[in-house]
Amino acid sequence: MAIINYANKEVQFKVVYYGPALCGKTTNLAYIHGQVNDSNKGELVSLATAADRTLFFDFLPLNAVVIKGFRTKFQLYTVPGQVIYNATRQLVLRSVDGVVFVADSQWEKMEENIESFKNLQDNIARQGQSLDTIPYVLQYNKRDMPSPAPVHYLEYILNNRKTRVPSFAAVATSGQGIFTTLNAVSRLLLQKFAWENQQAAAKQSGTGLSPAPTSLSGIAAASLRR
Amino acid sequence: MQTMPILTIPAINQLMEALEDFLDKSEASFAMIIDRGGAVLCEYGNIGTSTDTSILAALAAGSFAATKELALRIGESEFNSLHQEGENSQIFMCSVDNDAVLVTIFGPQTTLGLVRFYSARTVKRICGVLEQIHTNPSMAPIFSPQDIRSATRLFDH
Repeated sequence: MAIINYANKEVQFKVVYYGPALCGKTTNLAYIHGQVNDSNKGELVSLATAADRTLFFDFLPLNAVVIKGFRTKFQLYTVPGQVIYNATRQLVLRSVDGVVFVADSQWEKMEENIESFKNLQDNIARQGQSLDTIPYVLQYNKRDMPSPAPVHYLEYILNNRKTRVPSFAAVATSGQGIFTTLNAVSRLLLQKFAWENQQAAAKQSGTGLSPAPTSLSGIAAASLRR
Repeated sequence: MQTMPILTIPAINQLMEALEDFLDKSEASFAMIIDRGGAVLCEYGNIGTSTDTSILAALAAGSFAATKELALRIGESEFNSLHQEGENSQIFMCSVDNDAVLVTIFGPQTTLGLVRFYSARTVKRICGVLEQIHTNPSMAPIFSPQDIRSATRLFDH
């Protein structure tokens, strides 16, 4: 749920990194935290077990670009990927504005990828929303593992819905694809925010509404064209 | 994308007045209103310059959400409040409405009873402000697609 604060001139968004256990969600945030300049990031908070398995969530606040005098802030969260923590995943998804689904490219993880994606759809639906209306991107992580599944196969099993979303190959441990993913979901999110507010303004002023994009991919294509 | 009603400057001022009055009467040191997703809506008081309130808000929201789930498991709809006591500081969280939580941090100069008493009144005041901005929503800043495309780097890394 985007928070707009005119006093502080800030717009805040919540992005959740979702995916099966050990797919690289926390590694994504750790890499981002290591790369962003100190003045534009907060502390990376990890609520994890002694074995570094995410127990509740990881949290990283980031300051992003200033648009029309408003500072855009992104709160990045990860969820615990283990199956038993579904209740916790539901809590973390509350008020989510955008999602990065991190898939593990290893062949033996395909079933977990599919189950986790279904779990994401179910948990979003429990909040009365649909994945069709929330900006999200796919990240195919661990491309450096021996014999990863081909990207087109991952596309077939995870990006074969009515609306195809941007997807990115990644190696979270080295940073490959990490910022590309983050930039993509952030732009999608901002584009949707801009479009919704333009519609609201047009409605209020009684002018004609601009045609809605037929799918989120319409926004995605426009935002990623540059 | 769900959007909370816009926090206009008058609304923020009303919320800050409510928090200032609350801290004055309860003698707590810091209070903030957070949304249940973990974002800070408004804050007032002194917590120490090194404390990142966005992290506090995320942790507080998570903690409050977890206790709500505990409550559901034992047949309650929610625990309205949550209190944690340390050696020098205490934290008290209470539900404002379905979307917001009031978080208060206080030290030995006051008591839980006083904080709890005045938080009940403050919650009603905050509810009034939030309801008002729900009923009379303001316009969000208009970003055009060009504004977003022209932002060459979203993150400084």
